[in-house]
Amino acid sequence: MKPLALLAAACLALAACTTTSVRMAGDARAKAPPAGARILLVEPDIDVRLLTAAGMLEPRADWSASGRRNLRAAIATVLETRSHTVVGLDPDTAMAGRGGQLLRLNGEVGRSILRFSYGRPALPTKSGSFTWTLGDGARTLGRTYDADYALFIHARGSYASGARVAVMVGMAALGVSLPLGRQEVFASLVDLGTGQVIWFNLSTAGPAADMRTPEGAAALTASLLRDLPL
Amino acid sequence: MSAPRWRALACAVLLAALPACATVTLAPAGPYAVGGQSVTLGRSWSDISILLPGRPKNVRLLTIDGPLLNRLYIVDGLADGRALASPAGKDPPTPRWRSDLSPGEQVEFVADSVAAMGYQRVETKDLRPARVGGVDGLRFNIAAKTTGGLDISGVAQVAESGGRLFLILFLAPTEHYFGAQEAEVEGIMSSARPGG
Amino acid sequence: MTRLAPALLAAALLSAAATSEAWARSPTAASRPDPATDEGGLWSSSDRAEAEARTKAELDADPVLTGYVRGVACKVAAEYCGEIRVYVMDRPFFNAQMAPNGYMEVWSGLLLRVTDEAELAFVLGHETSHYVHHHSLDAWRAARRRANATMALSAVVAVAGAAAGAGVGGDAAARTINDSVNALVDVLYLAAVASMFAFSRDQEAEADRLGFARAVAAGYDPSAGARLWRALQAEAGHSDFPTARTEEAVASVFATHPVTAARVAALETLSNDRPAGSTDSGRARYRAAIRPHLADWLRDDLRRRDYGRTLHLIDRLAADGEDPGLLDYCRGEVFRRRRGDGDDARALAAYRAASAAPDAPPAVWRELGDLHRKAGQTAEARAAWAAYLARAPDAQDRWLVEASLKALARSGQP
Repeated sequence: MKPLALLAAACLALAACTTTSVRMAGDARAKAPPAGARILLVEPDIDVRLLTAAGMLEPRADWSASGRRNLRAAIATVLETRSHTVVGLDPDTAMAGRGGQLLRLNGEVGRSILRFSYGRPALPTKSGSFTWTLGDGARTLGRTYDADYALFIHARGSYASGARVAVMVGMAALGVSLPLGRQEVFASLVDLGTGQVIWFNLSTAGPAADMRTPEGAAALTASLLRDLPL
Repeated sequence: MSAPRWRALACAVLLAALPACATVTLAPAGPYAVGGQSVTLGRSWSDISILLPGRPKNVRLLTIDGPLLNRLYIVDGLADGRALASPAGKDPPTPRWRSDLSPGEQVEFVADSVAAMGYQRVETKDLRPARVGGVDGLRFNIAAKTTGGLDISGVAQVAESGGRLFLILFLAPTEHYFGAQEAEVEGIMSSARPGG
Repeated sequence: MTRLAPALLAAALLSAAATSEAWARSPTAASRPDPATDEGGLWSSSDRAEAEARTKAELDADPVLTGYVRGVACKVAAEYCGEIRVYVMDRPFFNAQMAPNGYMEVWSGLLLRVTDEAELAFVLGHETSHYVHHHSLDAWRAARRRANATMALSAVVAVAGAAAGAGVGGDAAARTINDSVNALVDVLYLAAVASMFAFSRDQEAEADRLGFARAVAAGYDPSAGARLWRALQAEAGHSDFPTARTEEAVASVFATHPVTAARVAALETLSNDRPAGSTDSGRARYRAAIRPHLADWLRDDLRRRDYGRTLHLIDRLAADGEDPGLLDYCRGEVFRRRRGDGDDARALAAYRAASAAPDAPPAVWRELGDLHRKAGQTAEARAAWAAYLARAPDAQDRWLVEASLKALARSGQP
C-alpha cells in the first residue's frame, strides 16, 4: 500500500483535511489596502518532526527548513500578486531593544489568542469582538523596517512514518485509534500603525497541504491566508 | 473525547492540572467583594481565580486579556503561614506570610512570591506609604522579566491588619499593557477597605 | 517502509552495530551534519534552543565573567575551542549542560559552588567531552531503540499535540482547536528539549574520565574533580529537605548530574595515579571573577529557602577569609528568614560580625536596627538606623527607617 494513498484514506475517514478558523477585527475588511502596502514577513517559525512507529518525535532539520522556505515563498507570492511589497525579517537578529520587546509581546499576545479566543475557557472581557493589540509601540517596528503590516507564521507538528501509518491501520482494525501526526499552523497579521492584531487564522494541514513541497506549501498557504484583509 | 474531557484538557494546559474546570466569570465595574475586603472596579474584569493552582483561599486573580498580558491579584486577609504562590510539583517551598513581618520584609514577601511565580530578575522600587482603609500600608513598584525576556512592570499595595495580609498586586508587560491599566489599578487600590 | 516487522528488525540490527564506544568527533571536519539525518535534526533543535537562550532573561550579560568562563573553556576544549559557545545563566542550581551543536550553559549555582579555576576547568572539560563524544546523539539513538523495542505509544506522542485521534462523537471542531492549542503552546515542547540534555550513568562516568584528562592536560590540579563532587555531596547532606539528604545519588534539581559515590571514587583513583604535578588552582583569580556577582547569586540561592544548604555554601565561600562582610551579612539573612528558635540571636551575631568588616553592605545596619528594636534595645536601634541612613542616603526605604526612628522617639523610651 502506498503511504500517500493510506494517508488520503485516513484523511477521508477522519475528516482531517486542512481546516481553518479565522478571527478578524471588525473593521479590518473595510480598511484593507487595495495595493502597495509594505508587509514585514517575519521568518516563519517551523518545527516539524517525524512521528515514528513507536511514537517518538524525531526532529527533522531538512523538513523544517523546506517548510520554512516553501511557506515563505508561497506567502510572498500571494502578497506580491496582490501588488504589495514583502520585506523579510529574521527575528533572531531582532531581539534586542524595543523591537525585541515587541516581538516577545507578540508571542504572548499570540499565545493568549490561542488560549482564550480559540481555546476554553473564554474570557468574558474578550467576548464579542476580536480586539487584541501590541500597543502603540508597534510603530517602532513599522519605522525600523519601513512596513505597514507584520505577518507572523508559526507551525508545529509531525508527519507519520510509513511504519507508523501501518501500525495505525493495524491498530484501527483492533478498534484502537492512534494519533497519526499532523501539522498545526497559525498566522497573525498586525497593523503596525495601530498595533492591532487585525486577523488571525489557526489551521490544521491536511495531507494535500504538505509544506515540505512547494505545491503543498502553496495549497496550505491558500487555506492559511483565507480572508486575509490585504 | 467528550466535551467535558477536552474542557479539562484545555484548563490543564493553562496553568496546572485541575480535576474539574468551573467557569470564568465576569467581575463587572462597581463593588467587588473579596471575602471581608471590598474594592471598587472602574471597569469590568474577568475573574480567573479558578485557574489558580492550588486554589488558595482568600486570593483572587482578575484579568482583562489573559494572565500573560495582565494579572491583578487581590488578597483578602492571608493568614500567618500561608503562601501567595503555590509551588509547582517538587519545587522548593514558596514564601510564607508571617503576621510579624517588618515593612521591609512585607515587601520582600511580595517580591519573593513574584519570583516564585516564575518571573526573573524581580526588583522593587519607589517604596512609598499608603493609607489603606484605616490602616497604614505601603505601595511600591516592581520590575521583572518573563523567562523569555519580556519586560514586566508591577505595582503592589500592602497592608497588614490583625496579623493578616491585604494585598493588591498588578503585573503586566511594560510594553503597553502596564500603562493601559495603571490608572484603573490606582483607583482599585485607593478603594480598598480591608475587612475585619 | 510499508511492512512493519522488517523495518523494526533492520533498525535493531543497525543499532547493535552503533554501540556506545568513545567515537570522537573530528575537530577538523566541517562540523555541521546533514540536515536529513537524525544528527542533523538534533543539531537544528539545539540551534533553536541556543537562539532562545540568547534572548532569555536569565542570560548573564556581564562580559568580564562570560569572557573569563569562555577563556577557561577554551583552554580545556583545546582543539575544539572554536566549536564551543558558552552561555552563563543566572539560575541558582548546580548545573551545566552541553548540546550536540556546541552550545553550553553554565549556571550561576554552579559558579557559586566551584571554589577555584581547576574545579571549573574539570566541569567544562566534562561538558566538552559530552560534545566531542556525541553523547547526545548516542542517548537519542538509545532512546529510539528502547521506544522501538517496547512500542511505547502514549507518553511522547502527547508532546506535539498529535492527538488527533478518531474519537466518536463529541465536539470535533472544538476538540481539534484545543489540540491545536496544545500543539502550538510551546510549553509542551520543553519536555522534548530537556530530554536532549539527559545522559546515561555510563556517559556521565565517561565524561568524568575524559574531562579529567582534558583539565590535567591543560595544566590543572588533578584532585579538583573529586574535590568538587565530594563538596556537592556534603552540601546535599546539609539540606533542609530529607529526600535530598538520604538520596544516594545527589541530583541537581534538573537531574542532569547525579553524583554517586562511585563517580567520586573513580576520580580519586585517577587523581592518585597522577604524580603530584601542577597545583595551579587559580583560586584568587576565580574568586575575583565571581566576586561582583556574589551578592545577587546568594540572594537567589536564599530564595530556594533551603537554609541548611545555603549556610553550608556560605561556610565554603568564607573558608579563606574573603568577603567577610558580605558573607556574614548573608548568614544574617538566612537566620532572619528562617525564623527558627534562637535565630534572632544568631542573626544579630552575624550582622554584628559583618559590621566589623570593610565590605559590609549598608543593609547590615538596617537589620541590626530592626533586631535591636525587637529586643527592646532602643539606644542600639537608634544608633544602627542612623548608621544605615548615613551609609545609604539614597535608599528607597529611607523614609521607612526615618519613620521608625520617629516612632521610637515618640514612644519616649531612653
